[in-house]
Amino acid sequence: MTAPGADGPDGPVEIDRVEFEVERGKIGEFVRATAVQDPIHRDSAAARSAGLADIAATATHVVVAGHHRDQLAFVRALGLDLPRVVVGAVRWDYERPLVAGDSLRGMRHVVADERRATRTGGSLRRITLRTDYLDAADTRVVRVTETIIERSAS
Amino acid sequence: MSADPSTEDAVVDNFPAAPVPRTFGPVTQTDIVRFAGAGGDFNPLHHDPGFAAEAGLGGIVAMGQFQAALLAGWVTDTFGITRLRSFEVRFTAPVRIGDVLEIGGTISDVDDDAGTTTLALSVQVGGSPVVTGTAVLRNEPV
Repeated sequence: MTAPGADGPDGPVEIDRVEFEVERGKIGEFVRATAVQDPIHRDSAAARSAGLADIAATATHVVVAGHHRDQLAFVRALGLDLPRVVVGAVRWDYERPLVAGDSLRGMRHVVADERRATRTGGSLRRITLRTDYLDAADTRVVRVTETIIERSAS
Repeated sequence: MSADPSTEDAVVDNFPAAPVPRTFGPVTQTDIVRFAGAGGDFNPLHHDPGFAAEAGLGGIVAMGQFQAALLAGWVTDTFGITRLRSFEVRFTAPVRIGDVLEIGGTISDVDDDAGTTTLALSVQVGGSPVVTGTAVLRNEPV
């Protein structure tokens, strides 16, 4: 078990790593799936007039990492029982908008793994994961911090 | 700053003083599957009724990232994605098929020294929050 914010001998434990391109077609899928309206996500001229190199990805685009991760391996690595797992909170910190053509690497780390007793006598496990997404210039563009909760076994 | 004295101290130039909320839904299984296709979350809780029932959730629930993305989309459509510095959500109740989502927020703080504006956000179903959140905007876009 790792205390909140504590590092292992080589820093926080890396749990998985993904690499992907921010693709125009995938941006379009998120626009449609989430009813986003700003033409900056569809129209290159609108994006350029906002100072961007190409159309902007929607704000939470990096969830596309789900396509590139082995969820079962992740669940096994953390020793989770999938039906009891829910996401409690997510935070995104942005240096700039992602745009079509960005090439990203995301390294996900476990930064906290805590268990606490519940009022009903069970136990709750709370895991904090942090993913830094770096662009082709090795500059961090987005950091995602997720808190996942494994509910008590009934 | 706006010439309107009622908003002069509260709202940055070009920020809507009273942002207009948005509704989405009723949520369908297709909406959830379409988001799974975009994002790649194929946890069967979100598309397999038998698995969802076994998990004790009372049926299929949407992935939290779906309602988070709807809320983020409202923020960026309303204020501009080039201003977005951070976005944080907490999931307080599940979203189910048939739910109508009320998506919006209000300006809760303007910090001229830091150059930021903070929004208090929520997604509600029938007046009860299913997501609460906070966004911090740059007063000047990147």
